[in-house]
Amino acid sequence: MNRGWMNRRTLLASLLILVVIPATIVMGIVVMDDRKYYFISLLIILYTLIPFAMVFESRKPQARELIVIAVLAAIAVAGRSAFFMLPQFKPVLAIVIITGVSLGAEAGFLVGAVTGFVSNFFFGQGPWTPWQMFSFGIVGFLAGILFRIKWLRRSKLSLCIFGGLSAIVIYGGIMNFSSLSLFGSNSYTKESIIAIYISGFWFDLVHAIATVCFLFILARPMLEKLDRIKRKYGLIER
Amino acid sequence: MRRDSFAAYHPIVNFGYFVVVLAFSMIFMHPVFQGIALISAVTYSIVLNGIKAIRFNVLYMLPMLIILAAANPLFNHAGVTILFYMKDGNPVTLESILYGIASSCMLITVMVWFSCYNKVMTSDKFIYLFGRIIPALSLIFSMVLRFVPRFKQQIRVISVAQRSIGRDVTQGNVVHRARHGIRILSIMTTWAMENAIETADSMKARGYGLPGRTSFSLYRLDRRDQTMLITLAILIAAVLIGASAGENTIRYFPSIHMKDQSWLSAVVYTAYGLLCMLPAIISLVEELKWKFIISKT
Repeated sequence: MNRGWMNRRTLLASLLILVVIPATIVMGIVVMDDRKYYFISLLIILYTLIPFAMVFESRKPQARELIVIAVLAAIAVAGRSAFFMLPQFKPVLAIVIITGVSLGAEAGFLVGAVTGFVSNFFFGQGPWTPWQMFSFGIVGFLAGILFRIKWLRRSKLSLCIFGGLSAIVIYGGIMNFSSLSLFGSNSYTKESIIAIYISGFWFDLVHAIATVCFLFILARPMLEKLDRIKRKYGLIER
Repeated sequence: MRRDSFAAYHPIVNFGYFVVVLAFSMIFMHPVFQGIALISAVTYSIVLNGIKAIRFNVLYMLPMLIILAAANPLFNHAGVTILFYMKDGNPVTLESILYGIASSCMLITVMVWFSCYNKVMTSDKFIYLFGRIIPALSLIFSMVLRFVPRFKQQIRVISVAQRSIGRDVTQGNVVHRARHGIRILSIMTTWAMENAIETADSMKARGYGLPGRTSFSLYRLDRRDQTMLITLAILIAAVLIGASAGENTIRYFPSIHMKDQSWLSAVVYTAYGLLCMLPAIISLVEELKWKFIISKT
């Protein structure tokens, strides 16, 4: 992780945040009569994915790097389809967090976003796809960042706490919001927000328990395997 | 599986078409437009998936439509036409009921369009379209899609090997079985990583990352695709002109208000109807042509 691409991403992200997103909101209010929350929020969530994609592409990643990301995403997708009969009980978030810790924030984001996108080729694409891509991705990104600044450790306890919290607060928080935006502008009342978060809470709780369980079982062996690969082949050392 | 004629067009036609109809069905809340979009989406999904689509629409989409439509008036108390008061003193208004129906219609339409999208925009078309813009990421997409079945296959291989030494998930008591299962997954992960590095080295040896890359599926933008793109552009322009004249907007709160119907609205409705029905019409025409040709010979 050198400073060059970090700065480019910051520049691009600030351009999106300061210019494009407000422009979209203004367009939503002026042209579309302030009623199309669903469409506007979908556009904004798509914008958030652009800086990551552009930085990754402009870096011209090596084949080894691509493949390791693809393998981890494939494991997450396979894990999601292996547990298809248990709703919300999925290992995706655990694998994304492990990736973020072991391979860095960018790889964490990519594995999360790619898993969200590709697994919906098996589960069915829908308006929820960009939301899932962003939620999985941002959890992986945060795991990487927090590990870098030493807030997150490689211990089981630390990872499990982060996993449980991120499933409820970040993933649940974003996905519940996305389902709320279906109902349109007049549904942004206090009681409807509370209602949607309460009705989503049990799903989020199952998701959090799943993430904690999978992190508890997977964290150590997976991290060891990734370390071994990194050391054996001199992988991703920037 | 029957081959759909709209799916045989250039990927850019398919993808552009779905982006436009999805955006339009999310934006236009006018009842006539919603009706057109919903009917066309359901028709096309039946053309694509046959009896399976009918089952999907009736079993999942219809109950969802009713539940979502009923949920809105419980939360949403805006609007001037008060029908009655709920026990907690909040009013139930005509506007919020109609808005609930409209927004759930919108959601259902989008879902049904997506079920068509899944059928038409296969992953190789997606990679063909985006391979130029985001080459590394679309390579990752295609590799993940390939790895998932491959890993499942490899799990079977490992599990057979483990069974021969009495360590398969079907052997031993519950604790043993769980431990064997984890062991198999662990072997699989190590194998996947090692195998991945080998694949990467062989990709590099064969010149990955050098200029002049070719792609697996070849599509050509021929005259049929160009005609299609122009037709789509004309219809989209007509709908957008209608939108700028306020034909497709509706105000729900505080009271329902729509623009009065005129000759322009008839034109815009026809254009939107044609746009949404286009894939179904194409399939039908091709089918008839085919029938006609076989019956002659």
